[in-house]
Amino acid sequence: MWTFTARNLRARKRRLVSTVLAVALGVAFLAGTLLLSDTLRANFRTLFNQANGSADVIIRSATKLSDGSGTSQRTGIDAALLPRVRAIAGVADAQPYIEGYGQLVGRDGTAIGGGGPPTRAANWISNRALNPYRLVSGRAPLADDEAVINRGAAKSGHLRLGDTTTLLTPRPVRIRIVGIATFGTADGFGPSTFTGVTLPATQTELTGSNPRQVTELLVRAAPGTGPDQLAQRLQAQLPAGLQAITGSQLAAEDYTSINSGFLGFLSTGLTAFAVIAVLVAAFSIYNTFSIVAAQRTREHALLRALGGSRRQLISAGLIEALAVGAAGSAIGWAGGIGIAALLKGVFDGFGFALPAGGLVFKASSSLLAVLVGITAAVLAGALPAVRSSRTPPVAALRDVAAELPSVSRRRTGAGALILAAGVAAVIGGAARLSQGAAMAGAVATAAGFIVIGPAAARPVVTVLGGPIAALRGVSGRLARDNALRNPRRTAATASALVIGVAVAALFTVVGASMKATAASGVDHTLTADLVVDRGGYGGASSGSGLSPRLAADLGRLPGVRLATGLATGNAVLGGRAATITAADPAGLGHALDLGVTRGSLGGLTPGSLAVSRTAAASRHWTIGSLVPVTYPDGTTAALRVAAVFDHPDITGDYLLDRADWAPHAGQDLDSAVFIKVAAGHPISTVRAAVTTALAGYGQPRVQDQAQYRASATSGVNTILGLVYVMLALAIVIALMGVANTLGLSIHERTRELGLLRAVGQQRRQARSMIRWESVIISVFGTAGGVVLGTFLGWAVVKSSSSSSTLGVFAAPPAQLVIFLVAGALAGVLAALRPARQAARLDVLTATAAP
Amino acid sequence: MTTSLTTTAAAVRAEKARKVYGSGETAVTALDDVTLIIPDGRFTAIMGPSGSGKSTLMHCLAGLDNLTSGQVFIGDLELGRLSDRQLTQLRRDRVGFVFQAFNLLATLSALENITLPLTLAGAAPDRDWLEEVIGTVGLAGRLSHRPAELSGGQQQRVAVARALASQPDIVFADEPTGNLDSRSSTEVLQLLRHAREGLQQTIVMVTHDPVAASYADTAVFLADGRLAGSLDQPTASAVLDYLKTLEA
Repeated sequence: MWTFTARNLRARKRRLVSTVLAVALGVAFLAGTLLLSDTLRANFRTLFNQANGSADVIIRSATKLSDGSGTSQRTGIDAALLPRVRAIAGVADAQPYIEGYGQLVGRDGTAIGGGGPPTRAANWISNRALNPYRLVSGRAPLADDEAVINRGAAKSGHLRLGDTTTLLTPRPVRIRIVGIATFGTADGFGPSTFTGVTLPATQTELTGSNPRQVTELLVRAAPGTGPDQLAQRLQAQLPAGLQAITGSQLAAEDYTSINSGFLGFLSTGLTAFAVIAVLVAAFSIYNTFSIVAAQRTREHALLRALGGSRRQLISAGLIEALAVGAAGSAIGWAGGIGIAALLKGVFDGFGFALPAGGLVFKASSSLLAVLVGITAAVLAGALPAVRSSRTPPVAALRDVAAELPSVSRRRTGAGALILAAGVAAVIGGAARLSQGAAMAGAVATAAGFIVIGPAAARPVVTVLGGPIAALRGVSGRLARDNALRNPRRTAATASALVIGVAVAALFTVVGASMKATAASGVDHTLTADLVVDRGGYGGASSGSGLSPRLAADLGRLPGVRLATGLATGNAVLGGRAATITAADPAGLGHALDLGVTRGSLGGLTPGSLAVSRTAAASRHWTIGSLVPVTYPDGTTAALRVAAVFDHPDITGDYLLDRADWAPHAGQDLDSAVFIKVAAGHPISTVRAAVTTALAGYGQPRVQDQAQYRASATSGVNTILGLVYVMLALAIVIALMGVANTLGLSIHERTRELGLLRAVGQQRRQARSMIRWESVIISVFGTAGGVVLGTFLGWAVVKSSSSSSTLGVFAAPPAQLVIFLVAGALAGVLAALRPARQAARLDVLTATAAP
Repeated sequence: MTTSLTTTAAAVRAEKARKVYGSGETAVTALDDVTLIIPDGRFTAIMGPSGSGKSTLMHCLAGLDNLTSGQVFIGDLELGRLSDRQLTQLRRDRVGFVFQAFNLLATLSALENITLPLTLAGAAPDRDWLEEVIGTVGLAGRLSHRPAELSGGQQQRVAVARALASQPDIVFADEPTGNLDSRSSTEVLQLLRHAREGLQQTIVMVTHDPVAASYADTAVFLADGRLAGSLDQPTASAVLDYLKTLEA
């Protein structure tokens, strides 16, 4: 049996190549994503160890202000602690560390970096044991206008030693670059920028109203004292509310935080796409094996007639699948290295800078990718193997149909049942906002689609093929009839495409809905004519870094009726870390329509706050509720809820009075300035004046309402772009499946094709016939995918309609039509080789074929 | 007892064999109460016009297909009682087949095709027997060739060798000369005759060719699914005459 299998594999090299390739592509994607995840983890771990490992012990506040991924912001601590810490036995040195927002401006006047990775300024610590940065040229800053910048920032900003430039803290500060530093041996802490200045400079620029506060104290242990021991000793002597942890603990904490946050999200997302690719590959393999098994009915029957047992036939099929899986997985694993590099490039291209570093191979990940590939191949090969073993031996002697062309009623019935149950569950789940039910329904709907496919193939292909048959004459009619000839095969070929396209359509619909939601949020809320902000993902709330004085400056420009700033920061509200915004309530009321339902913005006086309706509901706050707050400087107060509003799209859920916020904010940063243009002044003129006034602020952008709305939705476009790139591979695999099926069908119909040619079909007509068959199958699959994906997208939007990011459903018809057209074009592409193969057939040999 | 006497003398026998395809109005009776004994060590030809049921009879006798009613015995085994696994074993160990369309596996060499039933059984070939068979078939120089590199007659001789290789109780041949020219046909028929005489092989051959039937010890005639007589030591002209009376 082994010889037989081995011979079969060798004899059908071409078919083998395409199935192996399908497995290889799926596994390569999986291996690549796992490899990229492992590499990123290792790189981040190294990075954090370098960043935090230098200090033996770090003293910080126990109060967290933010809960995001990466290092969380904490309240400041009192610098007066320093002499006490230095006096403790076992402390060799202790240094104050003040860190804050510091945006460097490059030679061309634009901001360096940002848009994700942090832009930091801090005091330069001369004790090498407490500073992860190393001077590679120049010297440490001595005067308050001198600075050390990291080599990466110097490179991208084209700054050299001795240059003078601006540091936005957010006030524009003129600095002279006296030193260039590396982070360990790297150009920087990942893609973030660093500016080191003197301690007094940080106290004036970064601590805002509280110059006596520092971010952390960095402690170096004396020889003979271990970090753990010292941390314990310090903890015992520190006042309540402070923590002493070792550098390695902090590194582990940072790593865990980014691993469960950003990295976890990234690797889950990537793996999901890899699984889709493997699934699509499995469909392709299943289909190929099915067709091949059907074509070998005679051979199987002969083996049965000669005394081969069913088990022998099954194991022959499985061994073949195993060989395909093993070869494909091995190639795929190697290809994964390329995919990992490619993915990193894609992320860089989309602006997600990831830390660089060599690839890190983990045996477990490699093994997983290979095992998944082999398992998928064997599972896909199992059903056809079992089916072919059922061939009655007498089939060897009779002319039996190669594959049962009729669609069993049982299958159609079961498919209809599953589909109906799935659709009902999805609609029910969406209506009750139960995502679990909707999810189960979605899986059932997708399964129902696949099961009912063959029954749907006949009517759908007849309709799709109608215009082709009418327009393309004989070739078109033959193409349609060939696609109809075996609905099971047509449907199975299209299935792989259905899955890939459905996911793409799902994301398109959800993405369009997110954009529509964001756009409608901006439309409802924004009444200002111009918005000044720094960009970055997710609109105003994340791109921070404007001076609070900017609004006042812009307000004095001619033609500006009003300019008001919106500050963004972190605070503990009602016992929970929260992102808050703060503004002058009177001014903001003219720039934004918050849709206040209870209370009024006018009532937002010092000592009170406004909350969104959803936040108020989930926190059980009403007008008059007292909310305890802890500010970044550690002071606490109680704020009264004075207004509840409906439109949190720009401000977020919690809006404070700037009068309460500014004195305790530490570094007070505006994320946006909203400008209302005075009557009689054209917006374009005012805009030009504003842009001029912004020179020297690192050129933040100025947008009108339409531009602001577009930029609020641009983050979704970036994500969608990434998703399309990820899905492209799955779709390529599916198309290879279409090409493979066509190739096998042509092989099966050799005699018929020869006959057509013998009675006068031109080569051109033969090619056209195959091409249109491919187009029909591809469009059938694409249409199925678009319908399924749009429906599931609707379900996702409906079941999360209470969330602020997905309130509006939108299905972009243009994009979905583009999918169909792309599907048809891809069909043409998939048919290239099979069509050539069919046209090249020699008439005499073909008609003599068995 | 009479039954034990018949079973020792018969290689295969059918009792009231009935085979109906389809059901209701479209039902076709391919075999209608056929009772038949194929004696051991003899070369029997089953003859009849197209559609007479001769192929169906052979498929049922060989355990390739099952009866609607009635019984078939190979030796003293009743095929209807056998499971799929037992039938598989029976085909592997006790029965050899020669098909009209050669039915060789294109990916295997001539020798590998000949030993295929043994490979499937996981048995080592009996070297002496194998050499004798190969010698008889006269293909010693072409054993490493693939089927595509052999002529039709050579392919069919490989198929005969394959049928003989496992030393089966009976060889069934289904129109073995149907796809061959007269010279190749003669070669194959002589080969079968030689297997009957030299190796004492029981052979059942379905054919519609009177010349082919003349190589058999007995010709059994079928018409419309029923047994229609038999001829011992048939000659081609006698068979032709008999067929004419059937068609009349």
